[in-house]
Amino acid sequence: MNTAPRSFALPASSPPRLPPADARGLRAFLRTHLFQSPLAGVFTFLLGALLIIALWHVVRWSVIDAVWYAPDNGAACRTALGACWAVIAEKYRVIFFGAYPYDEQWRGGLIIALWVAWGAISATRLLSVGTRLAGWALVFVVTILLLKGGLFGLAPVGTDLWGGLPLTFLIFGGTIAGGLPLAILLAIGRRSELPVVRLLCVATIEGVRGIPLLALLFFAALILPLFLPPQLTVDKLIRAEIGMIIFFAAYAAEVVRGGLQAVPEGQDEAAKALGLGYWLRMRKIILPQALAIVVPALFNDIIRAFKNTTFFSILGLFDVLGATKAALQDPNWVRYGTEGYLFVFLLYFIICSAMSLYGSSIERDNKRRVRRAT
Amino acid sequence: MTVTRDLVVEMSGLNKWYGEHHALRDVSLGLAAGEKIVLCGPSGSGKSTLIRCINGLEAFHEGDLIVCGTRLDGTQDSLTAVRRKAGMVFQNFNLFPHLTVLENLTLGAVYARGEPQDRAIERAHGLLARVQLTSQTLKFPGQLSGGQRQRVAIARALMLEPEVMLFDEPTSALDPEMVHEVLDVMEELAVSGQAMIVVTHEMGFARSVADLVVFMDQGEIVEAARPEIFFDAPATARAKAFVGQISHAT
Repeated sequence: MNTAPRSFALPASSPPRLPPADARGLRAFLRTHLFQSPLAGVFTFLLGALLIIALWHVVRWSVIDAVWYAPDNGAACRTALGACWAVIAEKYRVIFFGAYPYDEQWRGGLIIALWVAWGAISATRLLSVGTRLAGWALVFVVTILLLKGGLFGLAPVGTDLWGGLPLTFLIFGGTIAGGLPLAILLAIGRRSELPVVRLLCVATIEGVRGIPLLALLFFAALILPLFLPPQLTVDKLIRAEIGMIIFFAAYAAEVVRGGLQAVPEGQDEAAKALGLGYWLRMRKIILPQALAIVVPALFNDIIRAFKNTTFFSILGLFDVLGATKAALQDPNWVRYGTEGYLFVFLLYFIICSAMSLYGSSIERDNKRRVRRAT
Repeated sequence: MTVTRDLVVEMSGLNKWYGEHHALRDVSLGLAAGEKIVLCGPSGSGKSTLIRCINGLEAFHEGDLIVCGTRLDGTQDSLTAVRRKAGMVFQNFNLFPHLTVLENLTLGAVYARGEPQDRAIERAHGLLARVQLTSQTLKFPGQLSGGQRQRVAIARALMLEPEVMLFDEPTSALDPEMVHEVLDVMEELAVSGQAMIVVTHEMGFARSVADLVVFMDQGEIVEAARPEIFFDAPATARAKAFVGQISHAT
C-alpha cells in the first residue's frame, strides 16, 4: 500500500514581526486584566468605586481636616473633625527614646541615624558582604556604648532607662546576630550522624517551639534569677535577649534545615570527591546554596523577630510600642491614641517593608545568578 | 600505608551489601598505571557502586582496596588521601551552581590542597583550554549546555592532577548531539596516558580506548577481556546476550 497520507504540513518562511496591535499595550492589559467578561467589568467598577470612596475618607480625615499644630495641651484638637497629629509633635521624644534622660536623647538620635544610614548603605550592596557585616558589628557596639555611657565623658545610663527605637534596634540586632548562627548550628546538628548531638538539637528546637515567646521571656527575666546564685547577677535586658535569641534560632533552624535538605546529595558528593572536609563542604558548598534557597522564609522570621521586640514592654523595658503606650497616658492627650498608634504602625510598616524589599532583591539576585544546573 | 606496585587501583575480594541485598560479590580488579578499564553491564549490575567505592563515596564491608598507594580502611585520613589523587566525574555533572566555572575549578585546589590562588587560577585556565572552554571561565554552570557542563566537571577533576580518573556514566544525562564532545575530551585524556576507569554504555568508546573491558552482572564480574575479544567473541552466555542487545541498539 503506497497511498499518500491525508495529514499534511506546509513549509513556509516569514520574518519575525510584532504581535497584532490589540494584543499588546494598554488595551490588551485592560481586556485581559480588568474587563475580561461582563461580570469582571462589574466587579472592576464596584471595587474601584469602593476604593475611591475609602481613599477619600482617609485623605479627608488624615490630611484635610487634620490638626498639625495645637499649643496649650492640644486645645485646637478638641474641636477638630480630623486627625490630631499634634500629639506626635508633642510626644515624639518619648515615642522615640522612651524613659531615656531628656538631655542625653541626642545619643539615641545618633543611634537611629547610624542604623538607618548603614541599612541604606548595605541595601545598595556596593560593599562586600564582609565589609557590610563588619560595619553592622561596629554599629552594634557603638549602639551599646552610646546607650550605656560612662566613657568619653558620657554620663552612664542604666539599662532600665533604655528605651524607644534605639532599644528596639538593639534587641532586634542582637536577636539576628546571635540567633542566625545558632539556627545554622542547630540545623546542622539536627542532621548530624552523632545521636547525642542530634538529640540535643531536636530537644532544643522542639522544646522552644512548644512554648510561647511570652512565657520564655517571663522565665528568662523574672523566674530564672530565683534559681541563680545571688552573686551571679545578669542584667534583665541580657537575660531577656538570650530568650529572644533562642526563640528565633529554634524557628529559623527548621527553615535552614529545609534549605539543607533541598541541596542535592550530589553537591556534597562532588565536594567530597575534591577532598574537602566536612566544615569546608558546609561553608563553601552546602550552606551558601541552602541559605539562598530559604531567603524568603528566613526573611519571614527576621521580620517577625523585629515585631517580637514589642514583647519587651511586658518586662518593663520600653521599646517603641511600649514607649508610645506610656506617652499616651498623659490625660491631655489620652484621647488621641489612634493617631499615636497609627504613627507607630507607620514606623513599623516602613521598617518591615524595607526589610521585605531587601529580602526580595536578594532573592532576585540569586535567581539571576544561579539557574539550577541539575 | 604505602604499597609499591605498578597498580593505581587494586582490589581483592570486595563485598558490599545494601541491607540484605548482596550488591558487590567478591570483586577483584586491578588497574595498571596508564591503562584504561571500561566497566559495563546491565543497570543494577553494581558497576556504579563499584566505582563509587574506589574513592570512598560508598563504604564496603569485606575485602581489600588500595587506591594510589593508600589502603581504604574507613578512616578519614585514608579517604582524604585517596580523594586527593582520584578524580571523579558524575553522571549529573554535580557542578556547584553558585560558583563560576573558574571557581568550580579552583575551590578544591585552594581549600583542600592549600594551593595559592593565583597558581590555581593559572592551572584552571590551562585545563579549560584543554577541554575547549576558554571563553566560558566567568559563566555560571546554569548558563552552559550539558556537554559544556560535563567538560567543566572533567576539568575540575583534572585539577587534582589525579593518578586515576573515575567516570560514572559521564554521557548518560546528555542529549545525543552533545555526547561526542565529551567523549572527544575523554579520548584525548586516554591518549595522553591518564589511567582511568569508565562506567559507560558507549561501546564505540570502549572499543577504541579500553585496554580491558570488564563485564558485570548482579554484583559480580562475569567476564574481563580485551575489547576486540569481548565484543566480537564474548565467552559467557550473559555477556553474549548483553553485547547482542547493545549492538542491536546502536
